[in-house]
Amino acid sequence: MSSHSEPAHYPADMWVLPDKGQVTRDVAEKAQSSSRALRLVTLAAEALAVLAVVGFVMRWVTDGFGNYSAWGYYVAVFSFIFLVTSSAPLFAVAFRITKNHWRRPVSRIAELFALCGVLNVILYIPLIYILPPISNPNFGPDSHGELVIRRSIWMEVPFGAPHLWNFLGIVCLAVAALALLWLSALPDMAEARHTATGFRGALYRKLAGHWYGTKRQWHRQKVSLAYLGGLYFMMLIFVQFLIVSDFAMSLIPGWKDSILPPLYTVTGFQSAISLTLIIAFILRRRGGYSNYIGLSPFWSASKVQLGLTLLWTYHLFAFFITMWYGRLETEQNLIRYLIFESYTGIFWANVILIFFLPFFMLIWNPLRKSDWGPTLAGLSILCGNLLFQLRMFVAAFNAGDIYALGMTSVPPPVFPDLWDVFMVVGGVGMAALVFLAAARLFPLISVWEVKEGAMYQDKRPLFRGEYLVLAKPE
Amino acid sequence: MQEGRALTPTEINRDLLNSIMETPRWFWPVVGFLATIVLAAAITIGIMIDRGLGITGLNRPIVWGFFITNFVFWIGISHAGVMLSAILRLAKAEWRRPATRAAEVLTIFSLMTAMIMPIIHTGRPWRILYWAFPYDFARGIWPNIRTPLVWDPSAILTYLTSSTLFVLIALVPDFAVLRDRYADKVANSEHPSSTDQIFHAAYRFLALGWEGNPRQWKLQIIAGVLLSALILPVFVSVHSIVSWDFGMAVAVKSWHSTIFAPYFVVGAVHSGVSAVAFVMIILRHIYGWQDYIRHEHIDALGRLLVVVATGWFYFFVMEVIFGIYGREADEIAVRDFQFYQWPMSGWTIVFVVTTYFIPVALWLTRWARRNLWIMSAACISVNIGMWLERYIIIVPGLANRSLFSFTWASYVPSPAEALIVGATFAFVTMLMLLFSRVFPLVPLYDIKEGEFLRTEVQVGRRTVPATFRED
Amino acid sequence: MVTNRIDHKWGMVVDLDRCTGCNGCVVACQAENNLPINTKDLFLQRRTYSWIRIERYWQGQYPNVKARFIPVLCQHCENAPCEPVCPVYATYHNDQGLNVQVYNRCVGTRYCINNCPYQARFFNFWHPHWPDRMENQLNPDVTVRTRGITEKCTFCVQRLRRGELQVERAGGQRLDDQKLLEGNYAPACVQACPTNALTFGDQNDANSHIRPYFDDVNTHDIHHEYERETRGYRLMEEGATRPSIIYLKQIDQFPLEKNTNV
Repeated sequence: MSSHSEPAHYPADMWVLPDKGQVTRDVAEKAQSSSRALRLVTLAAEALAVLAVVGFVMRWVTDGFGNYSAWGYYVAVFSFIFLVTSSAPLFAVAFRITKNHWRRPVSRIAELFALCGVLNVILYIPLIYILPPISNPNFGPDSHGELVIRRSIWMEVPFGAPHLWNFLGIVCLAVAALALLWLSALPDMAEARHTATGFRGALYRKLAGHWYGTKRQWHRQKVSLAYLGGLYFMMLIFVQFLIVSDFAMSLIPGWKDSILPPLYTVTGFQSAISLTLIIAFILRRRGGYSNYIGLSPFWSASKVQLGLTLLWTYHLFAFFITMWYGRLETEQNLIRYLIFESYTGIFWANVILIFFLPFFMLIWNPLRKSDWGPTLAGLSILCGNLLFQLRMFVAAFNAGDIYALGMTSVPPPVFPDLWDVFMVVGGVGMAALVFLAAARLFPLISVWEVKEGAMYQDKRPLFRGEYLVLAKPE
Repeated sequence: MQEGRALTPTEINRDLLNSIMETPRWFWPVVGFLATIVLAAAITIGIMIDRGLGITGLNRPIVWGFFITNFVFWIGISHAGVMLSAILRLAKAEWRRPATRAAEVLTIFSLMTAMIMPIIHTGRPWRILYWAFPYDFARGIWPNIRTPLVWDPSAILTYLTSSTLFVLIALVPDFAVLRDRYADKVANSEHPSSTDQIFHAAYRFLALGWEGNPRQWKLQIIAGVLLSALILPVFVSVHSIVSWDFGMAVAVKSWHSTIFAPYFVVGAVHSGVSAVAFVMIILRHIYGWQDYIRHEHIDALGRLLVVVATGWFYFFVMEVIFGIYGREADEIAVRDFQFYQWPMSGWTIVFVVTTYFIPVALWLTRWARRNLWIMSAACISVNIGMWLERYIIIVPGLANRSLFSFTWASYVPSPAEALIVGATFAFVTMLMLLFSRVFPLVPLYDIKEGEFLRTEVQVGRRTVPATFRED
Repeated sequence: MVTNRIDHKWGMVVDLDRCTGCNGCVVACQAENNLPINTKDLFLQRRTYSWIRIERYWQGQYPNVKARFIPVLCQHCENAPCEPVCPVYATYHNDQGLNVQVYNRCVGTRYCINNCPYQARFFNFWHPHWPDRMENQLNPDVTVRTRGITEKCTFCVQRLRRGELQVERAGGQRLDDQKLLEGNYAPACVQACPTNALTFGDQNDANSHIRPYFDDVNTHDIHHEYERETRGYRLMEEGATRPSIIYLKQIDQFPLEKNTNV
C-alpha cells in the first residue's frame, strides 16, 4: 500500500498518488473504515438532530404556525442550511467548467452536499404555513398607510405565490443537485459496482449498471456535466433570489434593495468554498486522504475566497451608501434597524467574521500556503454567515406591520429563547448528519477526476528546478 | 491550450516590432482622416465653450445626455485593461499574454477620452479647478466631498495614474529591446537621422537602464503582481463611483438603486473585454500577427465573455425587477417609458438583443468564437448595446415621467453632440494607432516567457500541449 | 446685528383654494429677478426660465372639466437633495432656512437640477439677452446671471436683506411677521398675488400668520397625515425633503363627481 508521504513543500505539488490502479480500492476502503472519532461525531450529530426536532415541536406547541414572527430563528437556520448546502455543489461545477486542475480531489466533497437538498425540502415544508400571505387580509377603508398587497417580487400574485413556487424551486434545485451528483459519480460507481457489497452495491448496480466507459459515454457524461452544471448555477441563483426576497426583503416594509440577492448569493459562494475546505482539511488530517488532498486546493481556493470576501464587503457597502446617502426616512430607519441600532452587535460580529478576519488571514501568503489557514478562515466565514442569516431573517420576521407603506420606527431586536437555540444548533447538526450519511454512500474522492488529472500532470526539470507541467486538452 | 507553431525569440522580436520599424502605407492617410474628425470636434467644443451649452440638445429637465452617456461608456471600456491584465495575471491564465498590453493601453486612452466628457459638459469648464482640485486655500472653500462628483475625479485620476504605471512597468523590458534596436540603427548608419537619435534617447530614458539581470526581472515581476493586486480595488471603485453619480440622486426615479455599483462594473467589463477582443482582431489583421494573436486567444476571450455577459444580464434583471418591486407610481412610469413607449422601447429592444442575446448565442458555439468576422461583429454589437444601455438609464430617468406631467420633456441630441461623441471614437482609434507605432502593442517578453514555458505531455497515444506552472 | 438675524427661518404658505392661475406671480418674479425673456425660441428648445410657475392640470373628461392650478417654486427644503451633490458648494443652506445659490461659484455640472424633485432649478444654456432699451429696467439689486450656471428662486433674498437692514437698523429689533407685512418686504410673487394665495413669513416667529400651518404639518407628519387639522400638506412629502413651503388643499365647492349626471 501507499506510504503516508509528507505533504509537498510547495503548493504547486499536486496530490501524491499511489499506484494508479489501486486508487479505486484505496478510496473504497477508506470510505468504509469507521473510526472511533467518526462514530462519536455521528452520535453527536444525531443528538443535535433530536434537539432540533424537540425545539421545532416546542416552538410549534407554544406559538403555532399562525404567529409567523416567532419563527424568525427557524427561517434563519433554514436559510443558512439551504444557502450553504445548495451552494456547495457549485464549487465542483465552477472549477470543473474552468478546468482548474487542483479541484479534482475535492470536487466530490462539494457535490455530496446534493443530498442535503432533501433536507432543505423537508425543512421548507413548515414555511409554507408560516410565511404570511402577500395580500393584506385586514385591509379596509380605514386602513391608513397600508398596502392591499405588500411589496414582493410576485407583482400580481399568481396562483400559489409565493409559497408554492418557492417550494417548487427548492424541489427542482434538489433534483438538479442529485442529478449532478449522479452524473459525476457515475464512473466511480460503475467501477465499484461489483466489489461493493450490501446496500451500496445494490445502489451502484442500479444507478450505474449501464456504464461501460465507452468513448461515447465519456463524451456524453462530460458534456452533460458541463450543461447541467451551468443549469444548476442559474437555477441556484434564481432560487436564492426567491428565498431572500420572499423571506427577508418583502417582510420589512419599504425595503427595496436590489443588491440583496447578489449579496446573499456571494455569501453562499463564500460558504461553499469554506465548507469544502473545512471538510477537505478534516479528511486530509484525520481521514487518511493526505495522499490525494494536497495543499494546492487550499492555496488556490483561498485565492478565490479572498476575492469573494472583498466582493461581499463591496456589495454590503454599495447597499449601505445608497441607503444612507438618500436620507429617505424608510431607508434611514432600515439601516438603523439592520446596521446601527437594533442588530448592531450581531452586524459587527458578522462583518468581522465574514470579512475582516478572513481577509487579513488570507492576504498573508504563508497562511494561504498552509492547510489550516484557509480552513480557519472558512470556519470564521461560516460563523459569520450564520450571523448574517440571523440578522437578516430574524430582523425581517420581527419588523412590525408587514403591510405598512414604509418603516416609521426602529423595532427592538429579538433574542432567541431556548427552543430557538435548539433549532439553530440542531439544524446545523442535522445537515452534518445528512452529509455523514452521504459520505458513507459515495466515495469521498472523485476517483475518475483524480486519475484523469494524474495523466495530465507531470514533473519536468527546467533549469535548476523541477516544476509541475500541466496539460490542457481543448 | 496552445496552438500554432513554436516561436523563437528572434522571430518574436522581428514580427512584433514590425509595427514600429516600418510604416505601413495606409498609416498616415488613416491617421490624417481620424485627425480631421478630431479637429472638427475640437472646433465644435470651442464653439460650445464660447456660445454656451445651448448648441447641444439638452433642455430642462434633461440636463445630462449624450456627453454623460459617452463618459460612462468610455469609463466602461477602460475597465478592460485591468480586468484582463490584473485578474488574469493573478489567475495565471496562459492565454492572457498577447491581450494584456492592448487592453492596458486601451484603458489609458479611453480614460483620457472619458475625462474630457464631464469637463466639456459643465457650464463653465474653465472653472473646473474649483471642482477637481482643492486649490482655493485663501477663502477656505474646499470641494464638497459629500458629492459623487468629487469622488469621481479622485477615483479616475488614481486609476489613470496607476494604470499608466502598470503599463510602464510592463513596458520596461520591451523598451530595452527597442533601445538596443535603435542603438544598432544609429551606430550602423553613416549619417544617422535625427529622428532615430531622438527615438534612441527616448527609449534609453524609458528603459531605465534595463539589462535583464535576475534582480531586475524579480523586481519587475513583483512590481507587476503588486500593482495588479493594488489596482483591483481602484478598478472596482472607479465604475462604482460613476454609478453612484446616478445612484445617489434620490430625486430621479429609477436611479436610486442599490445594485448600481456592481451592475455598472460588470457592464463595464462586458463592454471593455469585447472592445479588447475587437482591437486584437484589428491588430492581428493590420500588422500580420497571426502567430501571436491566435484563434485560441479570441476563443478564450469569447468564453470569458459568456460568463461576464450572463453575470451582467443577472444584474440587469435584478435592477429591473426591483425597480418595479417598490410599486411606486413614479418609478413605474419611468419603467413604462423605458420599455413600452416609442422610441425608447425600440432602443431598449435593440440594447437587450445586441448586448446579450445575439453575442451570447454566437459565443456559445466554438465555430463562431473562432471566426474572426463573427467575433468582430459580436464585439461591436455588445458595444452598441452597452452605449444604449447607459443612454436608457440616463435619459428616461431625467425625462421625468412623474405624476406632475407639467415638466415632462424629451431629448433629441444636436448634431454638435453627435459629432463630439463620434469624434471620441476617432480619437481613441487615432491614439491607439499612433501608440502602436512607438510602443509594441503585444508584449514581447510576455510572449517569450509563454513560449519558454511551453511543452507537451504524452497522454496515451495523444500529445497534449502543456505548460510549466510556477506554483 | 447679524446675530439678531440668525433665528429667522423663512417659509411660505400657498393656498390653492385662492389661486386663480392668473400668472401674476410669474410675471412679478420675471421682472424682479432679471429673468431673461422667454422667447419663442426658448420655448421651442424647452429652456424657458420661470422661477415660479403655475402648473395647470385638467381634471375630468370634456365637457366635465376643471382646471387645477398649483404654483411651484423652489421649496427651500430643510433636507434639500440638491445641496450635498454640488461639488463646489455653490448651493447650500444658509442660517435663515434659505437654500441659496452662489452664482460665482457655480461651474454648471447640473447635478443639482437632476436631484431636485420639484424641477425648480434652471440652467443658463445661453447668455441672457434683452432688447437694448429693456436693459435699463433690470433690477440693480439682482445679479444678471451668465451662461453656464444654475439659478433658482431665492425667496427674493435682496428684498429680505433690505427689509432686515431697515427694520433692524432703525429699531434694533428682529424682523418679524408684523413688520414684514407693514413694510411690504415680501417676495415679489407674494406681493403681486391678487388673491393673497401666497403668504410669506417666519416659521420661527410664534406670532406669524404661517406658523399654525407649519405647526400642524410638523406635528402630524406624513404617517399621521389623516389627523391634520388644517388643509396643509407639503409637496411630495414622502421624499422626506421637508420643504419650507406648505400648500393648502383646495376646497371643492362643486366637485366633478356631482356634476357628472348633469
